[in-house]
Amino acid sequence: MTWETVIGLEAHVQLSTKTKLFSRASTTFGQSPNTNVNLIDCGLPGVLPSVNKEAFYKAIRFGMAVGSQINQTSIFDRKNYFYPDLPKGYQITQMDLPILLGGTIDIETDEGNKKTINITRAHLEEDAGKSIHDEFDGCSAIDLNRAGTPLLEIVSEPEISNAKEAVAYMKALHRLVTFLDVSDGNMSQGSLRCDANVSIRKVGDLKLGTRTEIKNINSFRFIEKAINFEIKRQIKQLEKGETVTQETRLYDSIKDETRPMRSKEFANDYRYFPEPDLLPVVISDKEMQDIKDNFPELPKDKELRFESEFGLTGYDSKILASSKSMADFFESSAKEAKNYPLLANWLIGEISAFLNKDLIGIDESKLTPANLAMLINRIDDQTISGKIAKSIFEEMYLNGKTPDEIIDSQGLQQISDDDEIEKIINAVIENNPAQVEGYKNGKDKLFGFFVGQVMKETQGKANPQVVNELLKKKLS
Amino acid sequence: MSIQFKSILELRKMLDTKVISTEELIQETFKLASKLKSLNCFVTMNEEASMQKASQIDQESHSISVLSGIPLGQKDLFCTEGLRTTCSSKILSNFIPPYSATAVSNLENAGSITIGKTNMDEFAMGSSNETSYFGNVHNPWKKGFVPGGSSGGSAAAVAAGIIPAATGTDTGGSIRQPAAHCGITGIKPTYGRVSRWGMIAFASSLDQAGPLARTAEDCAILLNIMSGHDPKDTTSLDVENNDLTQSLNNSLKGLKFGIVKEFNLGDLNPDVQKRFEDSKALYESLGAEFVEISLPNISASVPTYYSIAPAECSSNLSRFDGIKFGHRTEHPKDLTDLYIKSRSEGFGDEVKRRILIGTYALSAGYYDAYYKKAQQVRRLIKNDFENAFNSVDLIMTPTSPSTAFGFGSKGSQNPVELYLEDLFTISANLAGLPAISIPHGAVNSLPVGLQLIGNFLREDQILNAAHLFQKNSEFHLMKPTMEDFE
Amino acid sequence: MDKEIVRTICYLARLEIDEDKAQKIEKDLETIIELIGGLSSIDTTNIEPLYSPLEKTALKHDDILNSDNQKQKFLQNAPNANDDYFLVPRVVE
Repeated sequence: MTWETVIGLEAHVQLSTKTKLFSRASTTFGQSPNTNVNLIDCGLPGVLPSVNKEAFYKAIRFGMAVGSQINQTSIFDRKNYFYPDLPKGYQITQMDLPILLGGTIDIETDEGNKKTINITRAHLEEDAGKSIHDEFDGCSAIDLNRAGTPLLEIVSEPEISNAKEAVAYMKALHRLVTFLDVSDGNMSQGSLRCDANVSIRKVGDLKLGTRTEIKNINSFRFIEKAINFEIKRQIKQLEKGETVTQETRLYDSIKDETRPMRSKEFANDYRYFPEPDLLPVVISDKEMQDIKDNFPELPKDKELRFESEFGLTGYDSKILASSKSMADFFESSAKEAKNYPLLANWLIGEISAFLNKDLIGIDESKLTPANLAMLINRIDDQTISGKIAKSIFEEMYLNGKTPDEIIDSQGLQQISDDDEIEKIINAVIENNPAQVEGYKNGKDKLFGFFVGQVMKETQGKANPQVVNELLKKKLS
Repeated sequence: MSIQFKSILELRKMLDTKVISTEELIQETFKLASKLKSLNCFVTMNEEASMQKASQIDQESHSISVLSGIPLGQKDLFCTEGLRTTCSSKILSNFIPPYSATAVSNLENAGSITIGKTNMDEFAMGSSNETSYFGNVHNPWKKGFVPGGSSGGSAAAVAAGIIPAATGTDTGGSIRQPAAHCGITGIKPTYGRVSRWGMIAFASSLDQAGPLARTAEDCAILLNIMSGHDPKDTTSLDVENNDLTQSLNNSLKGLKFGIVKEFNLGDLNPDVQKRFEDSKALYESLGAEFVEISLPNISASVPTYYSIAPAECSSNLSRFDGIKFGHRTEHPKDLTDLYIKSRSEGFGDEVKRRILIGTYALSAGYYDAYYKKAQQVRRLIKNDFENAFNSVDLIMTPTSPSTAFGFGSKGSQNPVELYLEDLFTISANLAGLPAISIPHGAVNSLPVGLQLIGNFLREDQILNAAHLFQKNSEFHLMKPTMEDFE
Repeated sequence: MDKEIVRTICYLARLEIDEDKAQKIEKDLETIIELIGGLSSIDTTNIEPLYSPLEKTALKHDDILNSDNQKQKFLQNAPNANDDYFLVPRVVE
């Protein structure tokens, strides 16, 4: 029996506006509980929502980038249900006339499989607060900081066929929203969340199988694991001759399994109706034009530009352009760095290694574009050798100091002065007569010994090219 | 000199000519309120803050505005910072808002003194002020009779002469109908004229705030100050607010008044009919021309309203869940129990009825037949008005089909009986049009009201017509004897 | 009215009706539903619903911070809260 998987993803993207969708409270993450809350977010009696235009502009930017139909007139609706993190007892969302319809996202899996996934729709809605269930005796604690934060809910068509494609889709989405300055895409902080609708059917069947919804998956790794688990689970059930129950499930990352959410006695009837406190929202042609005129560069375009403007290889450009923070850092650094390929190499190689080890992004490190530029320039102008540069870099990375500070305080300037090196070479030759003899007798490998000795004497600061040249002369 | 039954302008004169100081005025007001406590007009009194403000005003040598030092009642639906706001409901009986409604701030910033929060039907749901958690309000004209609702407390306090004016809210007639039953003037402005920020929502697309006072002129003064665009309320209109007192004395010559054919005034109580005919004659003597108009869908107003208002309120009242504010049940078993018990303990029967109807009208399978259908009929009603205003400037109707009635005598068997009280007033809310009620006599010693409905944004016209009526008659000067209450 | 429907809408609204009042409330609901059901006889083909009397569109505001966080006041008003959170009976997901 061959089975095929049908997956549809609902991504909740937290928009990077400074304030909330319907109030002017801050959206800053990580604040102490209930401090990013104002009257409106709290749902106090008598308060009214008002619309944050920037949320619309960001949603539209996304729509323009993926080729959606943009509804310049869209309407907000109320979705009514009771839950403690929903202060008003309803969520303001968009049902019948959302801001965006349709669009496509191109994906490429790790294995290089390319596919285009269609978007059904995307709409704006407000986020709910957070509940903490395990900290207080017999109580759940409610923090409304997040309540009211703008979300763009993006619904894909059920065209995704496996977990790897799902991850590729979410990664592509992540890249888009960060490059477009629509969201910071930070999954661990909840800026990007994913619900996966998974169903199985026999290959060749046209009808969709019963689907389950796995809610609120918040990392690429978990998306892959949760979906794979769910596929296996559903196939097992169907092979036994049982049916799959349509339900909502949660992914438990510790046990690596999905399990059903506590079932509710009555199916929820959300009783959607148009929000009477908000009139239809209209985006004018002028506003649309402004958004178009101020459109940020898309990843593909950035790649090509890095190639042409900075003379980088296609490969290097692609890697640098794959992350907005990395791409921005490169460009900023390139303003002062003189050697672009060298700069690129450092970012892609040494620096990425350090960042990956610490699991942080470049914007979370102590490095600054100016400091890196300085380091590149010092290598380029031979103030320091490549080898010394590595140790200087480590210090920059750990302490945030500038290269010049480190070079000066440790006296790491490369010694390139011929006379100075010659003096040291003479001393080494004088002190190692046996090796000199051996080298002159044909033991070429001993050359490395002399280089090593000179380096030792100069604490590695001697300019290797100069040392090589002069040693060759002296030993011949 | 007695302050009872004085209008705003009369009190202004007394203050300006130093017949009385602001402190004395406020003191007298509280004395009166206390003496007439049995009316049950007020839920919360604001004595300390009022006396403080009064004394401050006396220390300033000049009055900042016409309202400076004038005592007002605020309907307990408006949030007042630091002053308990209950909506006459158990569920908010301990709620102290951290902010004030824009309409209230506007009035207070203009110098008025909020002496207390007036009683009302719970969450503004009612036409008789019999659903308040704090007990019925009496009609000052007859003890044991309703003052009308939902702004019953405001109407009674003004009619009893305790205060010259008060704020009310009108969703289906809740300013106009109590004004009529209490023999005073009340106006509901165009939807969007007055900000709804801080006005605890009943039915968002119908609610409007407005003044109740002894004269149309006082209403104009108050409405001037209450009105204005408020960016915190995106449904508030951003239009020029002309000074409504400037046009009060415009001639009515040539103004066309419409009488609605479908209202079948001939079916009304003959005494009420007589009052209506007499008022028509008065207006004709002032130069107005009367034309019969047709509003073909008007008989659908009551069912339309009772589909829409409960639906919106069922959603608006979801925030009362015992978690962030208000009444919370003791010892809930779990979260669901917390919700159900807190809300069931906290809400009265009429509120529960409306929430249930509203939930039903919005639920899957019924939405199209009830809520959506009603909003479609609403558009038909609005269109009817638009057509009518092509041939008339104002529409005149009785405010209410009857006069005030005894406690418990209507609606206890069949709630729809009470709903039909709103027959004449409801359509103005559905269409968002301004409407005013003025007293025009009495039937069996109980006041009768006359309603004028104006075109969109034409408060000036209905206030003008109301003012000239009052200049040429004395009904608004009638006062209840109050002997049953002293 | 169907008892099941009444039960459902009561749950959706998180309300319970006392046993002794249940019959009256159900009857009231029936009467009101009959009242509003009368609209079905009106022809509304091709008529757009009027959700607000204003034929205008929403104002949008700028993305500028303007908050008056009053954490203490909000928590003080809450029937059950500690210094940081609103508290409810424990929810199991």
